Amino acid sequence: MLVKDSKTDDTENDDENIKEDLQEKLQEIKDQEGIIGYILRGSKSASIDLKDPTKIIEYAVLSSATFDAGRDMTEALQIGEVDNIVVESEETKLLSMNVNSHRISIFMEKSFDHNNLYKNLK
Amino acid sequence: MNRDSYAIALNNAMTEIKKAYPDIKNSFIFTKNGNIITGDQEADEKTTNNVLESFENLKEKTKAIGNLKSVQITGKNGKLTVSNIKDMYLVLVTSKNADKNYIHSITHVILPTIIKTLETFDNTHLQLTAPKKLIVDTLSGFFAGDSVQVDTEILTDWTNNNDPRARVKATISGEQNLQESINQVQIETFGGNAAVCKVKEINDQDLKGKNMIRIPEKLCKSLEINRGDLVKVKPVV
Repeated sequence: MLVKDSKTDDTENDDENIKEDLQEKLQEIKDQEGIIGYILRGSKSASIDLKDPTKIIEYAVLSSATFDAGRDMTEALQIGEVDNIVVESEETKLLSMNVNSHRISIFMEKSFDHNNLYKNLK
Repeated sequence: MNRDSYAIALNNAMTEIKKAYPDIKNSFIFTKNGNIITGDQEADEKTTNNVLESFENLKEKTKAIGNLKSVQITGKNGKLTVSNIKDMYLVLVTSKNADKNYIHSITHVILPTIIKTLETFDNTHLQLTAPKKLIVDTLSGFFAGDSVQVDTEILTDWTNNNDPRARVKATISGEQNLQESINQVQIETFGGNAAVCKVKEINDQDLKGKNMIRIPEKLCKSLEINRGDLVKVKPVV
């Protein structure tokens, strides 16, 4: 007999709802001028949408490395759990942030204002 | 200005900046090669190295989007900013609500200006210790030793020019400029050979004040130079 934990079910449903909500927002964001793409990673699945699909692996590795570096550096410096990370190169910017158990990385042109994205997603 | 003076100057600058901006908790500066130039007392070596290691890993992966210029990490209790300034990176740990404009002014105006000023001092120093062209005289005999000999005035001149700031200070205060004497020189021939060797004052009264460098015969042979040749000589600081 299969016994389901209703609490777990609720959590999973909430998680799924948050994911859908984030996915919807990210799709809107992706259409904005200056946005290169995004990566949304949950506990069980991930979705990647980039304007240049040939860069999927490199960007996924960078996204993961950013969260790792953020965790390690904040731990070392004792500045608490990571809220958001902004990485800038000469022309490109990456905003990485946690929303509940979801990790979001948005790639954009450097001139794009990431503060509005952050407020929209948080 | 040697590397230590540079580090001390940057460290002093960062100390003053921290006094002016109390929101800064920790700060340190390292090169693109990962060598720490200066850091404050609050950040211990282990912490600094951990941050550096994480940053190097991230820098490597960031090549996917170009050369890394800056990283800002906002934590629950503070903010970390790593900024590329010329061939260095400045790490600032601030309170979470530190004024962005202040941080920007430090990373984009104040520190680049300080670094530029230090480099100007450095260039001035290099100009002041430019090589001198001296005429070769050979030193031979049992007591020739392995040191070259130059005029006392040249050594004094190099010593006084060793640190421009100390020279200016001594001039202003009227005090004697006590500095470390020059112990070694680099000799470069016009044929492209070079050697670093110990230096002493010319002890032969007849040869003083003739813009001359007395070089042991053995060294002359290895540098492929003869008596009467011109060589470029500069102090090793």
